[in-house]
Amino acid sequence: MAEADDRTPEQLDVAAHLAALAGLPGMGPARLGALLSRWPAPEAWQQVRSGALVRAPEVLAGIRGHQSELCQDWQRAARATDVSDVWRQHVAAGVTVVTIGEAGFPSRLVDDPEPPAVLFHQGEAALLDAPTVAIVGTRRCTRYGHDVAREMGATLADAGVAVVSGLALGIDAAAHQGALDAAGTPPLAVIGTGLDVVYPRQNRGLWEQVVASGAVFTEAPLGTPPEGWRFPARNRIIAGLADVVVVVESHAAGGSLYTVEEAVIRDRPVLAVPGPIRSPASAGTNRLLADGAMALCAIDDVFVALGLVDHPGSSPGSGSATVGDPTDPVQRAVLAAAGWEPVSLDQLATATGLGFDDLSLAIERLVASGHLDRRGAWWERVSGR
Amino acid sequence: VLASIPSATLLGVEGRPVTVEVHVTGGLPGFTVVGLPDTSCREARDRVRAALLSSDLDWPNNRITVNLAPTTVRKVGATFDLAVAIGLLVASEQLEPESIEKFAFIGELGLAGAIRSVNGTVSLADAAESPILVVPAESVREASIVGRGEIRGVADLTELVDALRGDEPWPDPPPTPALVPELPLPDLADVRGQPGARKALEVAAAGGHHLLMVGPPGAGKTMLATRLPSLLPRLSGRQAVEATRIHSAAGVALPATGLVERPPFRAPHHGASLVALTGGGSGIMRPGEVSLASHGLLFLDELGEFAPSVLDALREPLEDRVIRVSRAQASVTFPADFLLIGAMNPCPCGQGDAPGSCRCSEYARARYHRRLSGPLVDRFDIRVTVPRPDPGQLLRGEPGECSARVAERVAAARERARARGVRANAGLSAQTLDDHAPLTDEAGDLLDLALRNGRLTARGLGRIRRVALTVADLHGRDGPLRPGDVATALQLRSDLLDLATPRHG
Repeated sequence: MAEADDRTPEQLDVAAHLAALAGLPGMGPARLGALLSRWPAPEAWQQVRSGALVRAPEVLAGIRGHQSELCQDWQRAARATDVSDVWRQHVAAGVTVVTIGEAGFPSRLVDDPEPPAVLFHQGEAALLDAPTVAIVGTRRCTRYGHDVAREMGATLADAGVAVVSGLALGIDAAAHQGALDAAGTPPLAVIGTGLDVVYPRQNRGLWEQVVASGAVFTEAPLGTPPEGWRFPARNRIIAGLADVVVVVESHAAGGSLYTVEEAVIRDRPVLAVPGPIRSPASAGTNRLLADGAMALCAIDDVFVALGLVDHPGSSPGSGSATVGDPTDPVQRAVLAAAGWEPVSLDQLATATGLGFDDLSLAIERLVASGHLDRRGAWWERVSGR
Repeated sequence: VLASIPSATLLGVEGRPVTVEVHVTGGLPGFTVVGLPDTSCREARDRVRAALLSSDLDWPNNRITVNLAPTTVRKVGATFDLAVAIGLLVASEQLEPESIEKFAFIGELGLAGAIRSVNGTVSLADAAESPILVVPAESVREASIVGRGEIRGVADLTELVDALRGDEPWPDPPPTPALVPELPLPDLADVRGQPGARKALEVAAAGGHHLLMVGPPGAGKTMLATRLPSLLPRLSGRQAVEATRIHSAAGVALPATGLVERPPFRAPHHGASLVALTGGGSGIMRPGEVSLASHGLLFLDELGEFAPSVLDALREPLEDRVIRVSRAQASVTFPADFLLIGAMNPCPCGQGDAPGSCRCSEYARARYHRRLSGPLVDRFDIRVTVPRPDPGQLLRGEPGECSARVAERVAAARERARARGVRANAGLSAQTLDDHAPLTDEAGDLLDLALRNGRLTARGLGRIRRVALTVADLHGRDGPLRPGDVATALQLRSDLLDLATPRHG
């Protein structure tokens, strides 16, 4: 998998030691940065391994947490680790390891305020040469957010833009799926775990497709399990790799707002998709709009933000141009009552005044024709492409 | 000298005839009870002795042996106190043997000679094999429900001995209490709006379909469940007797008429233990909540909070309508023919009702939902989400249809089910569905689609057809099932646990 490496033995040695360092327990970008501020990677490894780190106060100053315990944990882990084994594992798994400063390192991250010292990736890294748009949002999205993310993913891929997202559930997955469905530029993913740890497991199929046609990046070596703190850290890389960040749906204190913060630090334009003020899944995005984020009023607005088009497009998404409206008047009434927010059966019954049997039948027919989608006992209108 | 007195003991909810043999002979004074008695049986000695002495009768200062036959049946409780006392009086020649011929005795003795009621009098009276049965005065009504012979109630030992000796007439039976009007049951008219949940209750009541309600706190799940009894028909004579037997055996208070005629409503707390739910216990085989709910409703609120082992124990009674409890000492089959109503929150935070509003992690949700095993969820023919009612409806909505009207439709639908040879449609066997619930082509197409897209399994298919048949019955319609019936049944069986994220494609 990994193409013939034309790096010097010294470079390879640095990469291998960085991979080993990044695999130490609790090793995040800040701690790794503190170690590397003092020593080159191979020497940092020796310092950790010999336990000498505990006597380097200027390095420890950059390491938050229980320093002496951390030093012991690291020393223990480092003694049990063979650097060349780590390297062989990555090569065998087809994982490319690039360090900052090397030619293969993503150019968008070179000037990053908090760049990863080392990046692991599988797939086609050259996709980063294309314009990139990060599509992020809540895991607990509504049908509306799902449909918008998916449509945007597809539209961008068609237009030759690489979609960047985090392979999480909800908006992330919808954006990836949209980009994969279009036959255009495949998507990129930035994850918080090792490349062999599929998280969440429900996304395994999607993950494999992204690896096969696009690329997956992480700053964690193989075997790194999902840990809460890694995901906000991962979000800064998503912001760093994207030319534009679009937040589709976010709860009031959603994790996607981290990505927005990181994007603001990096001067990336942030677009937010407006949502109903009663939808908790849009509380965060609507707040972003109030705080001055650009509103994404139509899918094409993202091209304006990218600088690919210089005036806003006129097509307001494709929400209104769906599969073709049903002809049956009862079904039309049910669809009209459904609106674009999730509705319960009770709400539909009250709004349409239909009997239970007629209403149930109309719903079944609308599901069959692809106008409505069921989530638990809620119904949501489907917007097609 | 020997006396032999008929009495009865309780095994589960069934009575068993027991003969109490009392032998009084010279020798070292002593008192022995043999024949598998439990502790409270053995303690009869102290109660009987005090009762005799308080009633101015003599305690024979001899060797006394009490045998409870048959010796293979384990005997529990103080049921035999009265029989032991009478046996002693006969064996010690204080009573003529002829005076107690044709009599059987059931009752517990107080130290002052009072005769107290015991659990399970209904079944005990059924088991006692004598023309005349003497019971505590307060239990006459209970004993008369199934008792075959004459029932005589006495209040204390003196009264009984006087009557047996012929010194005094037998006390009058207690007067029939004035008919207390039954408290009205909670009425469905109190429910505003919520057409989906109303429909679910009506169909569940009419077809005997188990019902699962999922909804956020405050949606009114408990309120809805407590309105279900008002929709169900009153118990038939046989059902009432069985329910009364169970209540009596468990020592649960009986209604003023002595007969449980309204469908019982049992709502055990989610901390309930396995034995509390299924019945059993060490020594006494007490009927559990599933049996007490027989011919009525078992409402399990916060279904997800019950111990998984407790929930899984429900599977057998749900399938067989009885529960078999086996212990080292005895094995008992209790009736357990109930309609199950479950209620739970959609997820741990309780808000995961509308898409996008839940605060739980995927993991927490998955763990919460795993608490219900698939086979158990499968047994709920009707599964509905109960969203919080619309505030406008709560304040200004019309009162809903009252229970009496709905109960009429339910009764009519159950009448149709009876014509098919079952009590309710839920009891129809899979083989007879084609005869009883044929489908129109259109209705068949709907089911075909649901099967194809994985929404229905083969087993679910039969359940949907039964529910659809109930829906048609409630309309009073004959002929093949229409698409509207099937669509309603599908609506009433939503996949409640699939709230996570929209599916792709």
